[in-house]
Amino acid sequence: MIQFQNVSKIYEGDVQAINNVSFNVDNGEVVILIGPSGCGKTTLLRMVNQLESITDGEIRLHGNNVKELNKIEMRRNIGYVIQSNGLFPNMTIEKNVMIVPDLLGWDRKKQRDRFHYLMELIGLHPDDYRTRYPHELSGGQQQRIGVARALAADPPVMLMDEPFGALDPIIRNRLQEEFLQIQREVKKTILFVSHDIDEAVKMGDKITLLRKGEVMQFDRPTEILNHPKNAFVSEFVGQDRVLKSMSLYSIKDLSQAISLKQKVESNDTKTIKEDTSLRIAISILLNQEADQIIVLDDAGNNLGSLTLDLIEQFLHKEVKRTEIK
Amino acid sequence: MELISDLINYFLNNYDILFGFTAEHVQLVGIAIIIAILIGVPVGIYITTNEELAETILQITSIIMTIPSIALFGIMIPILSIINQGIGFLPALIALVLYSQLPIIRNTYTAINDVDPNIRDAAIGIGMTTFQRLRKVEIPNAMPLIMAGIRTATVLNIGIGAIAAFIGSGGLGVLINQGISRSNSTMILAGAIAVSVLAIIADLFLKYVQKRFTPKGLNS
Repeated sequence: MIQFQNVSKIYEGDVQAINNVSFNVDNGEVVILIGPSGCGKTTLLRMVNQLESITDGEIRLHGNNVKELNKIEMRRNIGYVIQSNGLFPNMTIEKNVMIVPDLLGWDRKKQRDRFHYLMELIGLHPDDYRTRYPHELSGGQQQRIGVARALAADPPVMLMDEPFGALDPIIRNRLQEEFLQIQREVKKTILFVSHDIDEAVKMGDKITLLRKGEVMQFDRPTEILNHPKNAFVSEFVGQDRVLKSMSLYSIKDLSQAISLKQKVESNDTKTIKEDTSLRIAISILLNQEADQIIVLDDAGNNLGSLTLDLIEQFLHKEVKRTEIK
Repeated sequence: MELISDLINYFLNNYDILFGFTAEHVQLVGIAIIIAILIGVPVGIYITTNEELAETILQITSIIMTIPSIALFGIMIPILSIINQGIGFLPALIALVLYSQLPIIRNTYTAINDVDPNIRDAAIGIGMTTFQRLRKVEIPNAMPLIMAGIRTATVLNIGIGAIAAFIGSGGLGVLINQGISRSNSTMILAGAIAVSVLAIIADLFLKYVQKRFTPKGLNS
């Protein structure tokens, strides 16, 4: 668990980079740090592993003030991923991935096994990459290796500084999906810097929105999108914020909150799985492919039908918590 | 044509002397370069931590470089005479070590400074100590440039080493020296050619060493 308690940072010349920031990253949770350029998100992240000093306040790692920890030891217990992957060009992929275990003095056998496990985890064949060098890999592969390196010594906490920021949208999307998959398995405590609200909504259990070193809002993505605390937050998340939030709900969420329409038997109606996101459902409905779509469960049973009206009801009742006028 | 046949005859008749002088020359330059590396590389690495000091050190080495070698030998004669080493091997060695400092220190300094800051950041962020960072990351990645500095210094030293024969250090310069005093152009030419060939061979050898020392992953 990472706790920020009234953390401030003032640069020489009285430049306030971070101003009285407090929030927690609970165990097994992904918290996204987001905000416009110069808001201090990267600085705040780098204060955790003491690449940046803390002027005031405390950052606690599993209850210990980071200032009192041995820097070298502490860093070896934190997975660190940066945007430009930071792989060492002089080392093979295996050496790169195993650098922290190597610093920790793991034996050869243990390192080999771990390398195999990690490469399988990130979906690259261990023997194909073992003796290759970073420059022989594509950007997406390099970034996967960067993630594997951060996970190498199985640290409970990870710091990720725009890990997918330099990749093209298709590869970025794929790596985000893969990473969520990995996170479901490894359940790390992660602080993740991003400048992309879509990424934040997709990856974060919670989001910390920063502006000029101050926390504007710290909340779940659905709350940030549907209940922005102030004008800055609502502007930052974008006018399509409601639509964005729809990607966080599935049809199942809707059917549990309000019931679907009665079963209808019609041949030309489209069908959709109940775990599909509402955003996709809206898109299909708006595309005039159908006025209603038949919702199916995994077994293919007809659960009822979905219409735009229902989604609107759900939005007001559950999401915005207002009565429809 | 006569000159060339004279030259060939000279080489054929005196190859044992030539080998002797070459061996002396290689010894002088070799020892000087080893000492220069032992001083220059650590200094070059150290000054990356202090910009002001770097500026000063690089300026001093540049100034040393501008002193004509004959003048430098001249300055050292009275100083080293105190320990009875005014002429001979020692002043020559000191001069060569001094001349090597600029290319070695400057290249090392530039090479370490030019290591991608992201790589350095990653090295610190994953918990390397300063020494581990230097040994595992910065020096290997700086290796091609550091070696290039050593190559420059070596070739430079082979040339200056020939002049050191004037203060009795031995080596191939002796041929040139004697050739001048005897007005024997064949001897002068033989000495000059031998020095050039030695410089080329040394450079090729170091090029090979440079390749061996450059981490495989950097050959992109």
